[in-house]
This record gives sequence, C-alpha cells and structure tokens, in this order.
Amino acid sequence: MIDSKAISEALKRIASHTAAASEELCAADGALGDGDLGITVSKGFAEAAAAELPDDVGMALLDVAKAFQRVSSSSYGTLLATGFMAAAKLEKGKPGIEPEEMPGLVAAARDAMMARGKGNLGDKTVLDSLDAVASALEGTSPQIMVETAIKAAGDTVERYRDLPNKLGRARMFGEKSVGLPDPGQLAFLRIVEGLRNEAHGS
Amino acid sequence: MKKILNNPADYVDEMLEGMVAAHPEIYAQPVRRVIARAGGAKKGKVGIVTGGGSGHLPVFTGYVGTGLLDACAIGDVFASPSAEQMAEAIRLADGGAGVLRLYGNYGGDVMNFDMAGEMAEMEHDIRTTTVLLTDDVVSAPKEEAEKRRGVAGMVYAFKIAGAAAERGDNLDEVTRIAQKAADACRSIGMALTPCTIPQAGKPTFEIGETEMEMGMGIHGEPGIWRDAIKPADEIAEEMLERLMADQPLAKGDRISIVVNSLGATPAEELYILYRQAKKVLDAAGVEIVMPLVGRYATSMEMTGATITMIKLDDELEGLLNAPAECAFWRV
Repeated sequence: MIDSKAISEALKRIASHTAAASEELCAADGALGDGDLGITVSKGFAEAAAAELPDDVGMALLDVAKAFQRVSSSSYGTLLATGFMAAAKLEKGKPGIEPEEMPGLVAAARDAMMARGKGNLGDKTVLDSLDAVASALEGTSPQIMVETAIKAAGDTVERYRDLPNKLGRARMFGEKSVGLPDPGQLAFLRIVEGLRNEAHGS
Repeated sequence: MKKILNNPADYVDEMLEGMVAAHPEIYAQPVRRVIARAGGAKKGKVGIVTGGGSGHLPVFTGYVGTGLLDACAIGDVFASPSAEQMAEAIRLADGGAGVLRLYGNYGGDVMNFDMAGEMAEMEHDIRTTTVLLTDDVVSAPKEEAEKRRGVAGMVYAFKIAGAAAERGDNLDEVTRIAQKAADACRSIGMALTPCTIPQAGKPTFEIGETEMEMGMGIHGEPGIWRDAIKPADEIAEEMLERLMADQPLAKGDRISIVVNSLGATPAEELYILYRQAKKVLDAAGVEIVMPLVGRYATSMEMTGATITMIKLDDELEGLLNAPAECAFWRV
C-alpha cells in the first residue's frame, strides 16, 4: 500500500530528479514553446514535496494538485494538477493506494486531462505517455511497476519523436517538430524516473 | 504609458483596497483577491460566484451585492485568477444551498474554475454548477456559438440569476434561469483606441488615428473589419443589424439593451448611439425595457462601445426588474 508518507517521499525524489532535468526540459521546450517547462515541472514538484500531506491519500493528492496550481499557471502545470485531482477523487477517504489500483488511476488522470485540455491521443502530447503507462501497468506485478512505467514513458518519447505535434503551441511549429522529442512527453519520462526506489520499498 | 498608479505590480491590490474602503457596506475582501458581500454568505441561499481578470470594472467584482453576486475571484489585469482563489470564492459564497459559477467563456478561466469546483466539492462538499456567457456574436460563427467569448451579457446574467437566488430558488432552478438568460444575450463591440495593461506598459493593439475596428473583443481580440471611422448612426445600425441577424426579433418582442462604454468613450457618445439604436428597434416594432447606457463592462481606458441585447419573456423580465444593489448599479 502506498500511503501519504510514501507519496511524500516519492514527491521529494521526483522534485530532485526533475530539478536535475530542468535545463534539459527547458531546452526541449524552448525548441517548440516558451522554454519554461523544466521550471514549471521542478517548481511544481518542489512545492508539492514541501507540503505536509494529510493521512487521507485522496486529500494528499488534492494538496499535490493545489501545489501545482499555486506555483504555475502554465497549461502543463494545470494538466498535471488535473491528473492528480482525478486520482484524488478516486482515493478520497482511503489510507493508501493499492498497487492494483495504479493502472486505473493513471487512466482516470489521462481521461480528465484529455477532457480539460481538449486533446486527443496521437497528438504527440503527455496524454500519449499516460495512455501508454496505463496500458503497460495493467496486470503488472507491483515489484516491476515503476520500471514498466519508465519503459512505457520512454518508448512513447521515441515513438512520437519523428511525428509532428498536433496540439498546443508546439503544433504551430508543424513539420519542424518532426525529429524533436515532445517536451511534455519528455518531462513525463523524467517524472516517472523520479519514482525509482519506491517500488522496491512498497 | 500615462496612468494614475504607484507601482504597476500593486495596481490590482490597491484598486481592490480602494473599492472595499469606499463601499465597506457592500464589499469585503476576506481573502486576497476575492471580493465577497460585506455581510457574508446568506444561509440557505444559492451562492453565485464569478471570476476573471481585472481591468473591466464594474465587471466582475463590482457586481457583488444584494440581488447580484455573492463572491468574485479576481486576477491580474486581463489574466485569470488562480483555481485556489476561485475555490475560496466558492467557499465564501456558499450558504449551504450550493453555488453557481457564472462567468465568461475564456480558456484560462474555464480551466481554473472547473478545477476550483472540483476542489470545493472535495474539500467542503459544496455542490457547484456552471453557466458560461458566450454572447459576443463576432467571436465565432453561430454554428459554433459555444466557442464565443462572454462580454457585457454577463451583466444581465448576473442580474437575472442573482434575483432568482435572492428569492430562494434552488441550485438547479438558478442554474436553469442563468442559462436561459445567457442564451438570450447577444453582444457586439467596436473600438477606436486601445488600452494599456499596467504591467506590460504598451498598448494592447495599434490602430490608425482615423480608423475604427468593428467587432473587436474587450481584450483587443481582432474584429471583422477595420476602416475609416463611420458616423455614429451607421455604427449603431451595423451593430444592431449584426445582433438581429444572429437573434432575429419580431414585432412585439421585448428586449433590454446595454449601450456600454469600453472605458474612455463618454456618456454623450453612448446616447448618440442609443438614439439611433432605439429608432432601428422602434421601426422593427421591438419594445425596449430598462435600457442601460453607461459603463457596465469596460476594458480600462479603451475608446469604443459595445451593444448587448437580451430577448425577454415574462420570467426573465420579472427577474430583471427585481431589486438589486451594488456600488455601480441599483435596480
């Protein structure tokens, strides 16, 4: 079971991993957008990691969503907050997340983010990453969940690299985006990588 | 930039501080950048909240008051408030009977307000509903009317939904009435000169000394045409023609109309526009109820005007005529 304490520790690891990747993400974003994605992501996780999370994991995930809202008004920050909020709703009142709930939570986050961002799968966005991770986690044993998620997130970046962006600001770059990793998908990979260690412990 | 201010970064907060100081019997600011009724939420009454960027007074904050709104989250000039501020506004507006989110259709506001509704529901068990204003007929074709932006039509929606909430209607009923009022509104704008966002320091758009732009949005969003400025009667006629093409009016129909200044256009010129608008409507046999001429939804010091019409039935007209009071408007 993943309780609030485990969530908090995971957030701290993600905060440190995304801070280290901040420059890389800003550069990837700078090629296709306004170049602040690394800051958005690392600041959001730093804020969430600093929060004192309640024992109710639903309310803990709500606090994570709020942390993202507080530090960033960028659309990526709002989308991540939306994803955490979707998971929060499903976990409200529970003391922990059971590993077998994970694929469903990722899928719920994907659906809520699709609705809010008015995006479709295949547009070369973070939604494709969530979709790939949700599918990959289905039926996976808890011990290999994190590595499975990392692989799915990494494969998504590579699968879409040579396709054009079809949504958001990157879409304006059209064919120029072919050959470049989608910054949102890349950021998601770095986020999931930050989860490492945790699966072995829980 | 020529503006009366101290530090541009303090513009919004000092404006709100002044508003509350001038009208303490109407407004309070219990949380930074959230304006609520001075008396707090009324127990058992459906709450109505709105939100959006600063720079449009009396929209949005100004319409907090009896028979109108309960609370409003306000952002920087022309920028959305945060979801947390909006959630605070929902909490402050809640009297235990649920809260309607009633605001203009702008991407950032919608994302944040949806999020705020989810937060309020999870944290405080407050049931919320949403009605969006999409009254600017120029901002999208009729087939995509749900994509249109919300402008001065929200004044009618605030008034009518506010009256329904004040008389004790439940959340579903207030929501139905608000949607009906929003659906009955049509607006169009025109501009002569831009405005300047204090923190940007530069005009929002450029326009020639002798030019006007028909259909321009309240943040300087592009309109339908830009050309040499026309006589007032021709401007009024074209605006009404476009409104009536979108929402046909027949002999005997009753409407209310706002001839609104975008900020710098004086009342004198609004009356010149109204005079011709009235002639056009008289000729069509349409009756005008409670015409509003003045500053109801502005864009800082932009020069220009908007015209909003709402087609009334007995239900909407009764609620429009119900008592209401804020610092900017009394019925």
